[in-house]
Amino acid sequence: MHSIFSGEWERKRRRRRISVFSSLAILIFIVLLFSMNSGITPLGPLEVLKTLFGFGDSNQNLVLFQFRLPRIVIALLVGAALAVSGCVLQGISRNSLADPGILGITTGAGLFVVLYISFFSSIDAASPYLLPVFALFGGLLAAALIYILAYDRQLGLVPMRMILTGIAVAAGLNALMTVLMLRLQPEQFDFVAIWLAGRIYGSTWPYVYSFLPWFIILSIFIYYRWRALDTLTFGEQMAKGLGLRVEKERLLLTFASVALAASAVSVSGGIGFVGLIAPHIARRLIGPNHALVLPASALLGGLLLLFADTLGRTIIQPSEIHAGIVVAVIGAPYFLYLLARSNV
Amino acid sequence: MIETDQLHIGYDQQTIVNDLNIEIPSGKITALVGANGSGKSTILKALSRLMKPSKGIVYLNGSSIHSQKTKELAKQMAILPQNPEAPQGLTVTELVTYGRAPHQRGFGSLKAHDKEMIGWAIEITGMREFANRPIDHLSGGQRQRAWIAMALAQETETLFLDEPTTFLDMAHQMEVLNILEKLNVQEHRTIVMVVHDLNHASRYAHHIVAIKHGNVVKTGTPHEVMEAGIIEKVFGIKSDIIKDPRSGMPLCLPYNLCEEQAASPIFGS
Repeated sequence: MHSIFSGEWERKRRRRRISVFSSLAILIFIVLLFSMNSGITPLGPLEVLKTLFGFGDSNQNLVLFQFRLPRIVIALLVGAALAVSGCVLQGISRNSLADPGILGITTGAGLFVVLYISFFSSIDAASPYLLPVFALFGGLLAAALIYILAYDRQLGLVPMRMILTGIAVAAGLNALMTVLMLRLQPEQFDFVAIWLAGRIYGSTWPYVYSFLPWFIILSIFIYYRWRALDTLTFGEQMAKGLGLRVEKERLLLTFASVALAASAVSVSGGIGFVGLIAPHIARRLIGPNHALVLPASALLGGLLLLFADTLGRTIIQPSEIHAGIVVAVIGAPYFLYLLARSNV
Repeated sequence: MIETDQLHIGYDQQTIVNDLNIEIPSGKITALVGANGSGKSTILKALSRLMKPSKGIVYLNGSSIHSQKTKELAKQMAILPQNPEAPQGLTVTELVTYGRAPHQRGFGSLKAHDKEMIGWAIEITGMREFANRPIDHLSGGQRQRAWIAMALAQETETLFLDEPTTFLDMAHQMEVLNILEKLNVQEHRTIVMVVHDLNHASRYAHHIVAIKHGNVVKTGTPHEVMEAGIIEKVFGIKSDIIKDPRSGMPLCLPYNLCEEQAASPIFGS
């Protein structure tokens, strides 16, 4: 009877999983090394390793530990958070086009971040530890707007209607942000422009510390619910039949994914498409099981954003292209490709 | 045994089922029959707690299902909705594994008993050779059997199926019904299904509930329900009832629409 679980096929599948995860880890490691030794101050691979193990001079220490590492960590964490958030949103809405950026959740978060910062003279005067909290309210506001506007009493949340409403909400919130910009001091104005372009601005350790607890708690909370996510992909009735409290689980998962995306973009700029692309590639590589898709999405998201940020800050040195723009250059065509394939 | 007490079911303001009192006997196959839009699927959903009745109570073995935890109910009743959809690339074994969901918690992995039930469900539905195939590569009949295997892995006494044979060709219809019959005979499962084909209901069910406009017209054995007068009332057709030379069960041979039905077709009623 148990042979179904121990055959040649099962071994093949296990090998595939191991190869997917180890290739992702290796890729991240390579980009990580490259990211650490590229920048305005040249730092060779050997010098990077030497500095990492505590043998660098003070200048090398400063560059690596105070400038590059926090930014690298933020890029990895934000990318992973956006990917997991997108993965959850796609799962609960059974819609492969759902993404915190496209749905306007990150814009809502950004709007509240800007409001928060506009109370202070500049971003540096504002405490980074309150940023995720404000962002959360903004993200929830956007999610609530989408829900109210797109919900149909008879049909529930129709995927296409949800996406279109989300795009409209995002556009509206963006417009609000632009209006707000005009009333700001020059320094704050610069900040909003940077936010909109998706620059990873939280590139010091306090931002890492401010976001890390959110990332850890929400990721564990979501991962604990992988089975609920799996059952939800069978549709509401089937999920209920399998004993899932559909409304409750859906609400909890929506809240967690909104909180994750919102807190992520509160330390980076408004970065889109990561939550769309990463889960999609993860599903292709590893199948539909969320116990594997969630971690694979997280790794892919981190890899994608770190790659985009590294590319953006090295390609036209000493100037830089913001990570959000690099991601959009890759992500927008991918979104159109998915849209074309989803026959609507 | 499943009983209902004055069940009212409706969407928004529209009432679909009014004052329904039915009994589903344990260990038997019960077929819900009726025309399109008669409310038979709605009744199945209410019995299996997929839909909340606006009034009235559904009892499972004497206790109300509305006050029980949905996860506990999932260990007592499994439901196969109409046209279920699986995510792309999911294999039969993976699909059937989800049938164990109500028996699992949190991060937990499969225990020996879970694996045993999954293996058994795949075996009894004849899906062993397809166990590692993706669902989307299977034929309609194989796919339906895979879903039935998933429901079986849930290890429940009662099984609800909403039109399990629709969209299947004759051989595959029979295959599915034979599996259900086997489950009933060998495992004494209570099976409640919505069926379109009256003659299938007659051949496979012990108990038939004939429904029109959300009301029960007649319940009983196939011999009691399969009468020309009742068929005319429920489906709006004139028919001859003959005896199946093999099984001895009644067979319905429709020959015409009733006069008022001929004038105003029942579609969408």
